[in-house]
Amino acid sequence: MSSVVRVPKYAVGKIVLGMLAVVLVPAYGQAQSSNIPRTLSGRPDMNGIWQALGNAHWDIEPHQARAALEMRPGPVVPVPSEAVVAFGAVGAVPPGVGIVEGGEIPYLPQAFAIRDANRENWVTRDPEVKCYLPGVPRATYMPFPFQIFQSESAFFITYEYASAVRNIYLHDPGPPQVDSWMGQSVGHWEGDTFVVEANGFNGQAWFDRSGNHASYQLTVVERYTMIGPDHMLYEATMEDPSTFSRPWTIRLPLYKHINADARVGVFKCVEFVTELLYGQYRKLP
Amino acid sequence: MRSLKLIYGTLTLGAVALLAYAVPAVAHHAFGAEFDSDAPIRLEGAIVRVEWVNPHSWIHIEVEGDGGTSRVWMVEGGTPNVLLRRGLRRECLAIGSVLIVDGYQAKDHSAARANGRDVTFTDGRKFFLGSSGAGAPADGAERRSVEAGGERC
Repeated sequence: MSSVVRVPKYAVGKIVLGMLAVVLVPAYGQAQSSNIPRTLSGRPDMNGIWQALGNAHWDIEPHQARAALEMRPGPVVPVPSEAVVAFGAVGAVPPGVGIVEGGEIPYLPQAFAIRDANRENWVTRDPEVKCYLPGVPRATYMPFPFQIFQSESAFFITYEYASAVRNIYLHDPGPPQVDSWMGQSVGHWEGDTFVVEANGFNGQAWFDRSGNHASYQLTVVERYTMIGPDHMLYEATMEDPSTFSRPWTIRLPLYKHINADARVGVFKCVEFVTELLYGQYRKLP
Repeated sequence: MRSLKLIYGTLTLGAVALLAYAVPAVAHHAFGAEFDSDAPIRLEGAIVRVEWVNPHSWIHIEVEGDGGTSRVWMVEGGTPNVLLRRGLRRECLAIGSVLIVDGYQAKDHSAARANGRDVTFTDGRKFFLGSSGAGAPADGAERRSVEAGGERC
């Protein structure tokens, strides 16, 4: 007899939707109000340092807590893999209600199999382990703050994690000249919502630490909507015909850092992983 | 007027020389670290994927083998910026179009990887693809560029 209450996955999805409806809908209704800071020209003023709360960076789908990100078959049940077992409770995955609308990512069968393989090989495959750039939308809900610089002629986001940056073009420069981790972003205003279309990705970025992935054909449409002076609703719709059977959306609130000494710190993790990547080539231990 | 031309010509030469000199800096790794200059290879196949990324571009081509088998080879090229200056645009490398690649195999001969030196389209147009500045064998093709009057794809 287990005392653990098992919640079916679809029920979790419903709970998530219910919570979102309660939390976000009334707040979203205020978006057109005068309750948000505005620039001189009347646009919502998104300047500031923002951060997501919650556990989406572990797994964007609704999930129960689990012992580790990478498991191996055990004698009875799966156990943490050799590479991560020493982390104990620190390496365990906290539960999360998820941020995916409807609860599940609509993978095509082959892409779903890649997700599972990614999960089984988390240590060697997750780009975050090697300090690779986070991609979009993962950069938004990693457990690091990011700063928006907004003017009439520019929109720039700088992320603490890996010092990633995005210059959101306000005039479409045409197709991306190269493919990259962070892609190319072009933004425009739809009323009080800042809409960004991002593409030109290299197909290597993940969505979280749980192996959720897309290909270089990914297009992300993000919607930034202020729902109060210190709160923003972030939505992103993913489309990738070689990975997903249909477009799907994530939705989560972002919180503004309101402390006077708030700042984006320096987390240049490349130098932190040189031992992991190149330590084996050093002559002396 | 004549002296102006001379200066312009000198500047152009200087720019080309600088460009050639700059290649190793952006090449990210030396040719000799990964590829075998004693193992030249000619590959012909249809493009299945183009990774137009820094610091090296990669063109994936499906090469037909014996007995109906095929293998996807990853061919390394220069940076997108360098290829653009040599006249090779991403739009010219459409999925499904056939290429002939002359290059050098990876040191690990079992890997389907090569460093591309020249790429030739089926209509005969030929472009320098490679990173010869990083130590690959040179034959002069690497000095052709759009700025020096070279062909665009």
